[in-house]
Amino acid sequence: MHKIILSLSGMILVALIIATFFYQEMERVLLPQEVLLGNNQQEHTSTEEQDEPEQTLWPVNQDAISYSLQHDALHITFNGGGDWVEVPVEQEQLFQGEYNGNRQTLIEESYILQGDRVAFIYTEASEDMHVQQVMVLYSVDQGETWQEGTIADAFPGLRYRKIDFVNNSFGYAILSGDRTMSSEYSLAYLTHDGGETWESAAETPTTRLIADGGFTDEQTGFLSYGTINPEKPDVYVTQDSGKSWEQAVFNIPETYEQIFVQAETPFIEDDHLAVLVNQGPNGDYQGGLLKGKFISKDNGLNWGFLEEVPADDTDA
Amino acid sequence: MIQTPKWQSILGWLSFLIAIAFFCLQMGYFLIHGRYQVEYIDDRLFYIINMIIIIFLVAAILLLLQTKRLFRYMAIGIAVVFIVIQGMLLVEKGKQVKQVISVSPNFKQVFSVKTDVEQDESIYYRSYYGILARAKEVLSKPIVSVHDITWLENDIAVLTYESNHQKLEQFIGTYGDRGGGYSYYQVGAENGAWEGEQASVHSDPEGIQVTSNGHTELFAWETVQQFGTLAIVLKRDEEAVWTIALAKDFIADSNAPIMPSYRILLYPAVLENQKPILLKPAL
Repeated sequence: MHKIILSLSGMILVALIIATFFYQEMERVLLPQEVLLGNNQQEHTSTEEQDEPEQTLWPVNQDAISYSLQHDALHITFNGGGDWVEVPVEQEQLFQGEYNGNRQTLIEESYILQGDRVAFIYTEASEDMHVQQVMVLYSVDQGETWQEGTIADAFPGLRYRKIDFVNNSFGYAILSGDRTMSSEYSLAYLTHDGGETWESAAETPTTRLIADGGFTDEQTGFLSYGTINPEKPDVYVTQDSGKSWEQAVFNIPETYEQIFVQAETPFIEDDHLAVLVNQGPNGDYQGGLLKGKFISKDNGLNWGFLEEVPADDTDA
Repeated sequence: MIQTPKWQSILGWLSFLIAIAFFCLQMGYFLIHGRYQVEYIDDRLFYIINMIIIIFLVAAILLLLQTKRLFRYMAIGIAVVFIVIQGMLLVEKGKQVKQVISVSPNFKQVFSVKTDVEQDESIYYRSYYGILARAKEVLSKPIVSVHDITWLENDIAVLTYESNHQKLEQFIGTYGDRGGGYSYYQVGAENGAWEGEQASVHSDPEGIQVTSNGHTELFAWETVQQFGTLAIVLKRDEEAVWTIALAKDFIADSNAPIMPSYRILLYPAVLENQKPILLKPAL
C-alpha cells in the first residue's frame, strides 16, 4: 500500500510539473468569430488556393444557414460562414418604417432562411414619405437567382412585418402600420405562386396592435392582437383563406383569467389545432415562466384550455 | 509497528481522495481546453488548484505512512518548494493578465474580463459551471484601470473603467434575454417615457433624451451602443455617459411594446460609486 501511495504521489507531482510548463505556454481560447474563421480557413486551404476575401464576414449566429449585415450589406451563408452570397437589397430598405433598432440583426420574422427558400421583406420608397411599397425578395436556389414580388403597393408607416410559407406555393405576409398610440392598421397578404403575386385578405374589425399571426394551411389563418397590457387573447380566425374573419372564442378557466392573455401562432397537432397563450409583457404568474396551451377541434373557432406549459420548452 | 489511529487513517484517505479529485479536474481541464475552447474563469485558479493538490497529497502521506523523519522533512520540503514556485507563477500571471471578476448577487453568474497587458487587449468571458469560461468578445477599448463593477440586476453587470484612450467606458455583461427566444428592438422602445425622483428618460425616433438634476441631454441613436438584449450605453464624444438597463420586471414581447409598461434602470458613468436610478413608465 505504501508503495502505491508513494508511486501515485510521485506521478502526480511529475504530471503537475509538466502541466505547469504546458500551462505557461498555453494560448488563450479563441473568440467565437475566430473559431468560425479558423474553420473557414481550414476548409479553404484544404480544397484549393483562393484569393483572400476582401472583407471578413461573420454570421450573426452559429446556424449553418445564417446572415451578416456587416459592411452595410446583407450577405447570407448556407455553410456556417464558409461561403457568402450578397443579397441584392440595400440594407436601408430592410428597416424602413417604424423601427429604431441597431440594424445589426434583421427584424425578427421579417425573413425566411431555409435550405430551399430564402425571402426578405423590404420596402421601396414612394413620393409620399409616410407610405411604402412593401416587397419580398426571394430565392429558391440558395441565392443564385433572385425574384421579387410586390406584397402591397402602398402601405402606411410599416411597423409589424412577418413572412412565412406553409408549402412551396402558399405563403403569407402580415403587415401593420399607420400606428397612432395603441391603434393601427393591420392586414394579411397571401400568395399562391411562391411569392410572385400577392393578394390582400379581408380586414379584421379591430385596430388593436397586432402581436402575432400565421396560417396553418391554405384556408386557415389567425391574427392575434394586443401588445399593451392585454387582458385576454384577442384572436381572429379565417377558414376561407382570408375572405372573412371571425373572432375566436377562448374558454379560459377562471383561475387563468387575466393570466394567459396573448395568443401566439396556432399550429397543427395530431387531429386538432393547438396554440400557446403567453402572459403578455407584464405577466408574473409562476414567475412568468408558464404559458397556457389551448386546443381547438373546430379548426380554430373555439379553444379549450389543455395544460400549463413551461415557456422554455415552447421556445426551444 | 505502531498501529495508525483510525481517525488518522480516515483523514489520510480523505486527503488522498481530495488530491486525486483535484488532479483529475486539472487533467480534465487540459483535455477540454482545446476541444471546447474553455479556460479557467480566473487564470490563477490553475496554480491554486496545484497548491491544493500538493497540500492534500503531503497531508495524506504524513497521515497514512509510517515513514522516517528525514523522509517526512523531504516530503514537506518538496511541497514547500512546489508551492512557492506556483505562488511566484501565480503572481507573474496576475501581472501578465489583469483579471476583473465579479459574482452576481444570486451567485448564478460570474462576470469575467481578462486584460492581456502585452497584447493590450481586454476580453469578456462567459462563465460555465462556475469555474470555466469561454471568450465572448473583445472590448472595444482595453482596460487601463477599473473603477467599479455593479450588478444592476442578477443578469446585468456594468463594468465602469478607464480605457487606454483616457476615456471613461462602460461595458455591460448581460446573461440571456428574458423573452425566452423572442427578440425585441432596443431597450428604449420608441416613444417611450420613464420618470423617477431624480431623473427622466424620453425616447423617440430622434434618440434618447435623459434629464438628470435639471440638465437635459439628447443622445442620437448613432451614439447608442447596445449590449445583449438587456442594456444600452449612451455616449458623448466616444465616452460613456449613462447605462440604461431593463429592470427585472421586463419580459420581452414578440414585438416591441409600443407604450412601455416596464421599468428601467439609469446608471451614470462616473468615477464615484453611484446607485442606479429606478425609473417608472411616465403616465
